[in-house]
Amino acid sequence: MTAEQILAEIREANLSYLMLAQSLIRTDLEQALYRLGVSEDNAALIGALSPAQMMKIANSNTLLCRFRMDDDVVWNLLASHGRGAANDGMSRLHASILLAGRHAEAA
Amino acid sequence: MARNKSILTEARQIERAVTLIHLGARLQVLESETDLSYERLLRLYKEVAGKSPSKGQLPFSTDWFMTWQPNIHASLFLNIHEYLNKSSALDEIDAVIKAYQLYLEQIGTQGLEPLLSVTRAWRLVKFVDNGMLTMTECSKCGGHFVTHPHEMARHFVCGLCNPPARAGKGRLAGSLQFGPAHVPPAAALSAHLLQPAALAAHAAHAAH
Repeated sequence: MTAEQILAEIREANLSYLMLAQSLIRTDLEQALYRLGVSEDNAALIGALSPAQMMKIANSNTLLCRFRMDDDVVWNLLASHGRGAANDGMSRLHASILLAGRHAEAA
Repeated sequence: MARNKSILTEARQIERAVTLIHLGARLQVLESETDLSYERLLRLYKEVAGKSPSKGQLPFSTDWFMTWQPNIHASLFLNIHEYLNKSSALDEIDAVIKAYQLYLEQIGTQGLEPLLSVTRAWRLVKFVDNGMLTMTECSKCGGHFVTHPHEMARHFVCGLCNPPARAGKGRLAGSLQFGPAHVPPAAALSAHLLQPAALAAHAAHAAH
């Protein structure tokens, strides 16, 4: 990928993210907080963005959304490292419980 | 003015009741969570669900939440519920409704059957409010799981880190299952290879 392509893809991803986040927030704020893992204040900011503002914010060389699986336990469960694929369902459910328990990012 | 307000409140309550009926809630839940009269709720129930509500007592035991699979489902729901409660200020029943919807989605995306009914989910929240059940952190994975109060937190290991021997053996569609790869390699080794070898060594030793 050339530098230009990279920038274009990042802009695209940022724009998709902002549009999805905004429609989630406008549909159901509380559930959106859970789905997005953002604070109520940030959700209010994203919810109030105009299309022009969105374009401007999306146009950047960094991504706006961050990776949520920032620890080994959850990541290994999701990637099922060192386990058969057979109990995939269990691992995913386990990961969901652990992720749902992380409200540090929301608080 | 006051009349206007009460109609608005009523409209909101009817909306809530309809959502709850769609989710499969029992009539007792509606009675407890809205100010609508029994007769009106009954009529609403028939109108929305197209049938009479099921009769009889609500499931009352906390034991159900302690069995393996229900515990996992209940823990997922309660974690979501806590998340919603901590991230925003919601009315109690709205938090139950929204958390239950998210729970259904999450279970659905993983191809599992929802074991937890909305009535049970509502009960679970009541049990936690009354201190009859609580959440304890698993000492292995750090996740929070539904337990009886006063569980020894330092030694508590959840049902997913340490599944019971018979767990996942049922072949019910949509239930959690272990595949044949479930037996951890070390355990399989010791059971099938090491033991006979050790026995043979032991026998050889005894022969000398």
